[in-house]
Amino acid sequence: MLSLALVFIVVLTSAGAFVIAQRGIGLRGAALPSAVMQALECLGLAVLFLLGNLAVGFVLVLALRPLTGRFVSVYILNDATLPILSLVQALVLHCWRARSK
Amino acid sequence: MRGLRLLGLVGLLAFAAAAFTPLANRLNAWMAGEARLEPSDAIVVFGRGGADSDGILTNRSLRRVLRGVDLYRDGLAPLLVLSGSPEETRARGNLARGLGMPAAAVVSAAPAYTTREEAEAVRRLLIPLSRRTILLVADPIDMPRARALMERAGFVVRPAPTAATGPSQPEARLGLCRDILIELSAWAYYRLTGAL
Repeated sequence: MLSLALVFIVVLTSAGAFVIAQRGIGLRGAALPSAVMQALECLGLAVLFLLGNLAVGFVLVLALRPLTGRFVSVYILNDATLPILSLVQALVLHCWRARSK
Repeated sequence: MRGLRLLGLVGLLAFAAAAFTPLANRLNAWMAGEARLEPSDAIVVFGRGGADSDGILTNRSLRRVLRGVDLYRDGLAPLLVLSGSPEETRARGNLARGLGMPAAAVVSAAPAYTTREEAEAVRRLLIPLSRRTILLVADPIDMPRARALMERAGFVVRPAPTAATGPSQPEARLGLCRDILIELSAWAYYRLTGAL
């Protein structure tokens, strides 16, 4: 149950951000659903990048074993930085696409 | 674009389920199966994650060897067999002896870097000594594959998983889910290549 405290904190700050965005910055509430959709698109891209990174990494590891004659563990792909880097890749591509429109 | 949105939503829901629900814990317990802590010919502790260059074992490797020492102290087997990379078995052997285990009761298998190689190294070590009944120490999620490999190598396996409940913090649960996915991929890979 304690882990849900994090969700509660995020919900609280999101509600605060919503109020500030509408009253302070003057963002339109009606534009929020399409912003959420865009965010989901970006997340979808991140998932694609993550799957691609894992697939390429797996093939590289298997190829490096006979090529180098040394054991390379598949577990090097089991790292928390990979999803984060995939998200960065997706963000850049998403922003690039938005700028190109 | 619709497909991307759907994929993003699925990713978000999967993240939430993995981090904030007991899904990972349930899978962990299910993969561990039931422990069978009965007198055996040897305790076999598989490697996990190796050791750093300064000889410090990873959390999981440490947990496994401590579990093995515990089982030895309970009198369940006269021999503790350590497998894995040379660095890992060396560090674990030092630890086991440092914890008071007699040197003659701690044996290292030949260097091995994959679970398949470990099963083969332990087979070459124990089968000629007619030690066929083993207590197998592995993480819950690694147990199905490790057990199947050892049974295939000719052993009667009694599972002794390190723990079955798993973590309760979101970040640790995410890590466990990642490990489960990797283990399931490894299982599929071993099935495809005929190792299982």
